Amino acid sequence: MTVLETLLSGQLLFAALVTGSLYALIALGLNLVYGTMRMLNVAHGDLVMLGAYGAFAAFTLLGISPLLAAPAIAAVGGLLGYGLYRGIFRKILAGGSSTTAVRLESNSLLLFFGLSIILQNATALAFTPNNRAYNYLDTVYRVGDVAMTGNRLATLLIAGTLCIGMALFLARSVLGLAMRAVIERREAAHIVGVNVDRVQWLSFVLGFGSAALAGVLVSMLGQFSPFSGFPFTIAGFIVIILGGLGNVMAGLLAAVLLGLIETYGVALTSANMRSVLLYGAFVAALLLFPNGLFARRAAAR
Amino acid sequence: MKFPKTSRRKVVGGITAAMLALASGTVTAQADKPLRIGFSMARTGMLANATPSQLNTYELWREQTNARGGMNVGGTKRKVEFVIFDDQSKPDQAVRIYEKLITDDKVDLLLAPWGTPFHLAIAPVLEKFKFPVVGNTAASVALRTVKPGYIWFPTSAIPDRIGVELTAMLKSQNVKSVAVLSNVLPFTKEIKNFLEPELKKAGITVKVTAEYPPDISDMTSTLTQVKQANVDAVLALAYPGDSVLYAKQAKELGLNNPLHFVAIGPTDAFFAKAVGATSAEGVVSIAHWSPRAEWKGSQAFYDAYVKKFGEDPDYLNSALAWMSLEILETTVAKTGLDKEKMRAMISSTTFDTINGKVKFDGVQNSITPTAFVQTQKGKLQIVWPASLASSKFEAKKGW
Repeated sequence: MTVLETLLSGQLLFAALVTGSLYALIALGLNLVYGTMRMLNVAHGDLVMLGAYGAFAAFTLLGISPLLAAPAIAAVGGLLGYGLYRGIFRKILAGGSSTTAVRLESNSLLLFFGLSIILQNATALAFTPNNRAYNYLDTVYRVGDVAMTGNRLATLLIAGTLCIGMALFLARSVLGLAMRAVIERREAAHIVGVNVDRVQWLSFVLGFGSAALAGVLVSMLGQFSPFSGFPFTIAGFIVIILGGLGNVMAGLLAAVLLGLIETYGVALTSANMRSVLLYGAFVAALLLFPNGLFARRAAAR
Repeated sequence: MKFPKTSRRKVVGGITAAMLALASGTVTAQADKPLRIGFSMARTGMLANATPSQLNTYELWREQTNARGGMNVGGTKRKVEFVIFDDQSKPDQAVRIYEKLITDDKVDLLLAPWGTPFHLAIAPVLEKFKFPVVGNTAASVALRTVKPGYIWFPTSAIPDRIGVELTAMLKSQNVKSVAVLSNVLPFTKEIKNFLEPELKKAGITVKVTAEYPPDISDMTSTLTQVKQANVDAVLALAYPGDSVLYAKQAKELGLNNPLHFVAIGPTDAFFAKAVGATSAEGVVSIAHWSPRAEWKGSQAFYDAYVKKFGEDPDYLNSALAWMSLEILETTVAKTGLDKEKMRAMISSTTFDTINGKVKFDGVQNSITPTAFVQTQKGKLQIVWPASLASSKFEAKKGW
């Protein structure tokens, strides 16, 4: 393939969009929790993995279509987030003084790290560490010269719709505005009467729920094991650093950009360059745009 | 805050007991001195998903042996008890565990861990304590650099032999051009290094050659090139972690090459479940075993495994694990637990296993030939070499 052929290939564009939309959905939840509480959820990828197992169990044990099970799995993920917030994180957050705020970051990191280990090993106990995968929606559709497997098409549509829906929610609804207010100026939002506690638990619910849902999509595409969550955490990190920590909208764009960089970069060089490209983009963004690729100058402090 | 009064000793004791129970994996009633057999296994970490087919085989053997009244140790039957530790997918951890098993737990026998790097890592420990172990799931030319003595490798799936035999098989199918895709992990990379010169010697054109990292999540760009090259055979030197991705995307892009070789994955039961029976049909892979009448016990092993675990054993790793147990059992029945006598017997005897006769020349099995299997009507059949074949190769008809 010549360079031009590569750039014009519809097949690659499709692959880039599938990857990008999945990254966007995964990074979205990570960013919400970070944005509202400044807590980096290192267990985020494990929630994706958990969602994948949920879909796998529903499909193989109960015979339920993963897409039908998806809302329930997302709800369980959200409930887990709610429980964790109520049970653990709110108590730590309630501390108040500035020293605890500093300690909070390290404590929450440790807590999430512990959660990650517990989730991995609990899943290994429940499902064995075997590779798991199943076959669903594997009809191949052809549009022009682009071939699309049903499950990849579904991933693109669902992840894309959810991300756009989320963007609209944040831009238009009162609750979404409150959420953005807490992300941008936490204290000020509190003073003008935003119910910070509610925003925080809601972001936990949405963050965990969207991760579990992303897991359902991931489970249809390839195989997974109890230990395959970590790469998703990393991908999520790269996306939210590219977009700007806490900047949810920019994160969505950054995810698509990353999908494009990865797919076309690999096509033009070699698959071995994937990590170099991903981390290269990451380091370049940190050096050139420390506040994120899409940071508004005025917002830069 | 007041806590209910529980003495610290009780708590510590309880935790220790629980950990011991977890670590040993088996809590048997005190029979008169059970035989303690130790090993490490990757139960967590990056390789944990590859080990169940081996661990299951060990468990099945223990269950059957104990049901027979125990393992024959130089004439007396003794119940078997496992001492298992998790090496967290780290070879250096396995080294410590085997040292501990020998010096601290003082186990009676040792079984092999999973995978080449682990076998290589523990070889010096075995040498140091003169403790013989029959290896199983290890395959690399590097194994030959291990000093013969206390470890043996029954596999014939050694990369240089795979290079030669795979090329011969392709020749026999009149293949003129191939695409070689390789995961950069050691085993597949090694196969690639030995395979490409062999292909060249045989006059087979390598039209596409590509490598990819283990964490690949999309193969569209590579497989698009493969499709355009229109080759007679695609040789995907994949690991279990990416074999499914390869099959799913080969289907999406409609790769209609008549021969698809996928190095590791298709011999494990999960593969066909993951990609669907039609996609798995016709894929060629590495294994030198299949249940057959002339290999005594092979069908019985297959049936027992399927009955206990509800899926097929891995034709490579489960079979190798079982062979290593058979060799150990035959030896110990004769020699008892005398390590030097064990070593002498393993080094010089021709053993009957579910994979036919096995004899070690140095560290290597000198009898079993390198072979390939193909999924035909949902069953794995040996299609190469002709001397072992249980069926003829059939061209793959789409995904």
